[in-house]
Amino acid sequence: MKPMLTVRDLHKHFGEHEVVKGVDLDVSEGEVVVIIGPSGSGKSTFIRCLNSLEEPTAGTVVIDGGESIQAGNRRALARLREDVGMVFQDYTLFPHMTVLANMTLAPVKLKRASRADAEREALALLERVGLQHKADGYPSELSGGQQQRVAIVRALAMKPRLLLFDEPTSALDPETVGDVLNVMKGLAAEGMTMIVVTHEMGFAREVADRVVFFADGRIVEMGPPSQMFTAPKEARTQQFLHSVLH
Amino acid sequence: MDFDFDYLLAQWPALLDGVLMTLRVSLLAIAASLVIGVLGGAARVMKIPLLAQFVALYVELIRNTPILVQLFFIFYGLPAIGMELSLFWSGVLCLSLWAGAYQVENVRGGLATVEYGMREASMALSLKPIHYFALVALPIAFRTSLPAMLNTAISLLKNSSYLQAIGLAELTFVAVDRIATDFRAIEMFSAICVIYLALVAVLAALTGRLSAHLQRPFQH
Ligand SMILES: Nc1ncnc2c1ncn2[C@@H]1O[C@H](COP(=O)(O)OP(=O)(O)O)[C@@H](O)[C@H]1O
Ligand SMILES: [Mg+2]
Repeated sequence: MKPMLTVRDLHKHFGEHEVVKGVDLDVSEGEVVVIIGPSGSGKSTFIRCLNSLEEPTAGTVVIDGGESIQAGNRRALARLREDVGMVFQDYTLFPHMTVLANMTLAPVKLKRASRADAEREALALLERVGLQHKADGYPSELSGGQQQRVAIVRALAMKPRLLLFDEPTSALDPETVGDVLNVMKGLAAEGMTMIVVTHEMGFAREVADRVVFFADGRIVEMGPPSQMFTAPKEARTQQFLHSVLH
Repeated sequence: MDFDFDYLLAQWPALLDGVLMTLRVSLLAIAASLVIGVLGGAARVMKIPLLAQFVALYVELIRNTPILVQLFFIFYGLPAIGMELSLFWSGVLCLSLWAGAYQVENVRGGLATVEYGMREASMALSLKPIHYFALVALPIAFRTSLPAMLNTAISLLKNSSYLQAIGLAELTFVAVDRIATDFRAIEMFSAICVIYLALVAVLAALTGRLSAHLQRPFQH
């Protein structure tokens, strides 16, 4: 398996407060890694370091065997972003732009595609998630689940090699969670490399190649879902799973 | 005392000249003040070193001194240091600088309401900071700031009457000038009040339509 992401000894401090305390992680091409763990344990901070929304205090991040991204190397940090897409909890669609304009803004401005090509690709992506009829609508006209599906295809329009999700269904009404998870399952099946922070244990069990249990700024334990959900080794993992599954 | 409509009818060409001058000065200054507002607001929000402090100083200076003093400074003061401007451009400069300070604060207030998530989403899409500012933050802020911007524009239009103090032939100057010869103060001041009210109403109506247009994406 070709390595897609290599993280070595990643640390992140906010002032005196160390939030990520030395994380090593390897993700192969096409792999789906689900990160679970208590809130406040540094999961968001960790994945935000992977597309340089946070600048790591120390450690390295390498995408697809490319340039090694180290703390302080701003040029490389910016390039890292181009290969990594991110979907946030609260969708963050641009409210003053139509769905289509949301999706074509970055590809056109970064000269990845002509406007016509970008629009054609955006419409094809919208069709895949069943929202082609909303292309000319505004985000406020969409349900939360529809907005999140648009946010996913907006990220895909940049053709990322790695897609990060930070609790993508936590802000949704229960009845729209399924639609978003189905889109994510489809992506996983097509071979997209994904790192997903979520509390959806069903999704983790069904879709993850690997489940990572994160607590107190560290990876406590990881393994295939079959092992993690039935026979976790660490007491903290057992405790956490007990509290969320019961 | 009787109110002489015929007198006003006879004076309308002079009043019309005054209105046109008021409009010319005000519209140019409104445009310039918006440019100052956007650039100054951006400098402050992005905390651009030196420029941000300079803008803050400018805003304080304008907001805490009388506009008439600012006008005299520009018209009588600047020539003393070799910067002579025509009557017209002195007026435009004065109103632009005065309203610009308020527009900086309006733009800054609007930008402050743009959620941080918008910036993060832009960064995650690899958009450059200038793209984020011009295409995401500013349009969102503009919608929020529009009522405050309109208020400033209306104040500017009304404050254009200060320009009569340096002798620019705008509406108030024309009225005062006529009164000095014809002594028809009630007629003239009534007439220019109505005209100022009408100008403000037109400005408000135009902004209202723009605002309705900008609100469309949010009405659901
Ligand atoms: N920008 C920041 N400045 C200071 N502290 C932060 C910042 N972002 C997160 N933290 C802190 O880092 C810790 C981990 O937060 P986070 O990564 O959001 O955890 P999780 O996603 O697992 O809930 C929390 O204590 C949080 O208060
Ligand atoms: Mg989080």
